[in-house]
Amino acid sequence: MGNHSVATGKKSHLQHHFVDEDQQFESSKFGMWIFLVTEVLMFGGLFVAYIIYRSWHPDLFYMAAQELDVALGATNTVVLIGSSLTIALAIRAIQLDKIKAGINYLVATIGLAATFMIIKYFEYMDKFGKGIYPGSAYSYDGIGHDMAVNFFSIYYMMTGLHGIHVVIGIGLIGWMTIKAKKGLIHSGYYTPVENTGLFWHLVDIIWIFLFPLLYLID
Amino acid sequence: MSTHHISTLSTLLSVAGALLALTFLTVAVTWFNIPEPFNVIVAIAIAIVKAAAVAMFFMNLYWDDRFNTIVFLLSILFLVIFVGITLLDTLFRDAGLPVY
Repeated sequence: MGNHSVATGKKSHLQHHFVDEDQQFESSKFGMWIFLVTEVLMFGGLFVAYIIYRSWHPDLFYMAAQELDVALGATNTVVLIGSSLTIALAIRAIQLDKIKAGINYLVATIGLAATFMIIKYFEYMDKFGKGIYPGSAYSYDGIGHDMAVNFFSIYYMMTGLHGIHVVIGIGLIGWMTIKAKKGLIHSGYYTPVENTGLFWHLVDIIWIFLFPLLYLID
Repeated sequence: MSTHHISTLSTLLSVAGALLALTFLTVAVTWFNIPEPFNVIVAIAIAIVKAAAVAMFFMNLYWDDRFNTIVFLLSILFLVIFVGITLLDTLFRDAGLPVY
């Protein structure tokens, strides 16, 4: 019943247990927000570890942060903000049925996300080269503090979990690009891109906190 | 409040511009040696403003059903409880700092 869209003539995605497309869209987005809450709490555990160790060893955090490259961290912040803008522009283009432009913005977002990961790769390799590994593999003696390894264990856990999210984000945005190319998303149904956008913006928000907390300890 | 908000181009570009300016600011404040507790407070305050801008205008909470905002803020509230209660233990240990 009512499972067709008169206005657009395009295939309706309305499932029978929703009143209308708007309710379905709102429910889906609400579900995404619930998921983002669990993400905040998962990263929250790492932020708690960070706060406790920093309150115990403020001098260590100052010394160890000098090993991180502020220029690379700031570049990555700019790259992620740029990617948040491009995915917002992609959603706007798809809402306006400019599918071609939307696809271009999605591809640009993937490019920026990949740039982030490449910069992160060089940062990690630079640390590994010095023997800065997490946990018992740590073998760097350039920091005169007994607990130096703890800062980097926290650093690798936080940036590593964030990096995994960036990679998952690349996968999701790639999936959205394919959907858009197949004509499956348009002004009448763009829920998947909207939710992918929400996920991507949360990844950006987490980096917004990681950057000053890890790189900018003065 | 509308279900399908379409942001204007100028909104998206000015939010991104503000985020870039705040990123510069958060780096720039480290060039002046702000004394101990205040440097962290300034850094976190700038990060909160940036996060709020992303959540309101990129994640559309500003135009959304308010319920999504409440759910998101509740996650922050529970994180604050998590941090607060843990610190009540770890900041007041008589035995001194653990080795690890």
